[in-house]
Amino acid sequence: MLLVSGKLANEKITIDDSSPEGTARIHVEFDKGKLVKADPDSTILFMGGG
Amino acid sequence: MPNIKSGRRLVSLVICSILVFAANSMAAQPKGKLTTSDKKVIDFLVNDWGKDYSVTSVDIAMDAVGVKQSEETRFRIGSYIKAHPELHEVIRRWGWVTLVLTPDEKLIARVLINAEREGKPNPSVSEIAKAVGTGEGQTNSGLAMLERYEILKRDNAAGGPSYTVVPRYLKWEPRLDFLFHTVTLERGRRFNTN
Repeated sequence: MLLVSGKLANEKITIDDSSPEGTARIHVEFDKGKLVKADPDSTILFMGGG
Repeated sequence: MPNIKSGRRLVSLVICSILVFAANSMAAQPKGKLTTSDKKVIDFLVNDWGKDYSVTSVDIAMDAVGVKQSEETRFRIGSYIKAHPELHEVIRRWGWVTLVLTPDEKLIARVLINAEREGKPNPSVSEIAKAVGTGEGQTNSGLAMLERYEILKRDNAAGGPSYTVVPRYLKWEPRLDFLFHTVTLERGRRFNTN
């Protein structure tokens, strides 16, 4: 998230991830630092960097 | 006539010797020897690791340099990385496992690890496939890769094969192990970060 809000703040970015608690896949998309899509809807996002 | 017969025998003997020599030479070649394109993947990774917190994995690097995805190639490159932590600080800091497995393989490992940590019975292949969202064929390939890397041990039980996790991976940083964060930029760059 530091990258999304910092060095890559002017980019369109997708992140494919997973829940550390289980095996659920997480897909999030950002455009210029702003969240535009999160799948699943229950994804909780902690944006670092203030 | 005896001279012709012994001449034929001699020719046969020479041919056999050549064939045996050729077979021995092939067998003597190291199985894990890197190819030119393998080295391209390694060079790409060594150059990429650490940039933007990159811990890019072998599968992504293969795509980046245009090497066709193949389990054998990936295993050969991964085994080299496993055996050569001196290549880059990222290998020593994050561990070779983070760099050589695909996201699916990490999730497959996690299903088994979480079950063992929680004292649940070993999940079957179809249960793992359902949890990870992969087909059974893909799940079996992932299990085979994890076994080749000695992360899992296969038990040929009566009801079909089952897998157990090698103990050191059960104790390896719960909730922080076998993770992946794949970043794709619209301009084309793709990497893993941690």
